[in-house]
Amino acid sequence: MGNDGFILIDRVSKEFAAHGKSAAVRVIENVSMTIARGEFIIFLGPSGCGKTTLMRIVGGLETASCGQVLLDGATVIGPDRKKGMVFQSYSSFPWLDVIDNIRFGMRFRDDISAAEKERLAQYYLELVGLRGFETYRVNRISGGMRQRLAIARTLAAGPDVLLMDEPFGALDAQNREFLQEQLVGIQKSEQKTVIFVTHDVEEAIFLADRIMLFSARPARVLQEIRVGDHIGTERPLAVKSTQAFFALRNSILDVTRKLALQTEKIMLQGGMSPA
Amino acid sequence: MTEQRDPHGSEGSGPDGPASGAAPPVPEPTVWQQLTGFRGSTTRGTDIALGVIGFALLLAIWSGLVAFEVVPKQYLASPQAVVVRLWELLTRYEFLDDIGISVYRVWLAFLLSAIVAIPLGILMSSFRIVNGLTEPIIDFIRYLPVPALVPLTVIWLGIGEASKIALLWMGTFFQLVLLIADDARRVPREYVEVGMTVGARPSQVLRHIILPAMLPSMVDNLRITLGWCWTYLIIAEIVASDSGIGYVIWSARRYVKTPEVMAGILAIGVIGFLTDQFIRWLHRRAFAYLR
Ligand SMILES: Nc1ncnc2c1ncn2[C@@H]1O[C@H](COP(=O)(O)OP(=O)(O)OP(=O)(O)O)[C@@H](O)[C@H]1O
Ligand SMILES: [Mg+2]
Repeated sequence: MGNDGFILIDRVSKEFAAHGKSAAVRVIENVSMTIARGEFIIFLGPSGCGKTTLMRIVGGLETASCGQVLLDGATVIGPDRKKGMVFQSYSSFPWLDVIDNIRFGMRFRDDISAAEKERLAQYYLELVGLRGFETYRVNRISGGMRQRLAIARTLAAGPDVLLMDEPFGALDAQNREFLQEQLVGIQKSEQKTVIFVTHDVEEAIFLADRIMLFSARPARVLQEIRVGDHIGTERPLAVKSTQAFFALRNSILDVTRKLALQTEKIMLQGGMSPA
Repeated sequence: MTEQRDPHGSEGSGPDGPASGAAPPVPEPTVWQQLTGFRGSTTRGTDIALGVIGFALLLAIWSGLVAFEVVPKQYLASPQAVVVRLWELLTRYEFLDDIGISVYRVWLAFLLSAIVAIPLGILMSSFRIVNGLTEPIIDFIRYLPVPALVPLTVIWLGIGEASKIALLWMGTFFQLVLLIADDARRVPREYVEVGMTVGARPSQVLRHIILPAMLPSMVDNLRITLGWCWTYLIIAEIVASDSGIGYVIWSARRYVKTPEVMAGILAIGVIGFLTDQFIRWLHRRAFAYLR
């Protein structure tokens, strides 16, 4: 992990314009950060604070109101295959089978030959453990398999950065843990830079090199936690039951609980109080 | 899951615990229970059987009305009379030619309207400028009743084939284009964004994502629109024509040949029903992945 500033988020703010009855909302407030090549970054913060929005700005799917994002020195102006996205909801195409969904990730690449594409399709199929399910329809495989499929398709496009927005949010605890472990392995072997949004503090600690803890809306970086300093860089599943892990989890939970209360206050002030 | 041994041995069910051994099978719900239960399930066989029963009931009521002269004969012909008349028309009066010309008109107008509506609808959903310019106009024309357009089409195009096709086209196109635009809009945003983040250009997103994703609902809408075509066909053939099913029905009316009128209607019903079932069957086969 060099400190070469692979991704640079440079004083980014975002405001959604007023729309009909809803007033303009400031969602992101002057956020800056530097992300190194190969780093695993977690965005953690209260619900509705702007994590998804910030990630979409990095991916070029949303434009910033102020500031800019640099990827490998170039300003991000729109989406392309260098910024891969894994969505929370199931995003694989039902009219294609498993292997064709993976191939779809490479369909528009012209930097590799057809033979190489086929080799990579098989490689990623194997990597996410879907060998044997090549010809299955997407709605015949489980939720966890679908998310693995989405990861394989995204990797197949050859992205420089993997953007993952609560990709395991819809899964049960066991599947989630299994995928977390696999993701750690994949990230190690593929040397990808990852930005990963989650609500789940344990998931955050287990996966992250660095956790960015955001404030309630508008999102500002409240705290930056270098997880390696607390629990080391090796992440076997057993790390989840170490003393250091618990201590870190509790200290983060302390902060997030306060943030949740704050968020409620903001909602009340904003007139969005629950009925 | 851990297996629990019953500490009381296998004495059967006590009042305070489940019995040991295999549980008796839960009785399957009967077909009747399935059919009458709220949002119950059914099989294809029973569905077809129900359809047949429905038709049989209709026939029985119809026959009864005629047999007991609840309705005078010149107003309502018996089913047999209608079928016999239909047979005569087919074998002796070249009714097949009329059917042929009607089917041709319907399909030509339908295809012409689909060929324009599909690309335009997709463009409307993709580009705000296209939508902004066309939607208000389409919405306006959509509410014009087709019969009101008959005089204009006759003035413009005479009473030849062109005016009939134009009428059918106007009756379907403006509805269809909005349905298609909606189909395209309903493609999940994630699908489109997946495309853009694997490097597809907008034209590639349209071709490789939006089109296949919207196809099932589009085929459904085309099927429904084809049905409307038949509605307008009769109007077109009644007003200005010397051929077609509509013409046959309308000329039979002049001499109160009720069986002939009903035979014509029956022919349309049968053609419509068969076409519809055929497209549904294609739909089931082509989009099996939806189930
Ligand atoms: N297109 C939009 N127009 C207007 N407001 C928006 C839009 N997208 C998001 N917002 C608002 O911006 C705020 C931040 O949304 P965002 O989805 O980024 O939050 P989040 O941190 O990802 O939340 P969650 O944890 O619940 O996913 C929310 O209050 C949301 O209502
Ligand atoms: Mg979110």
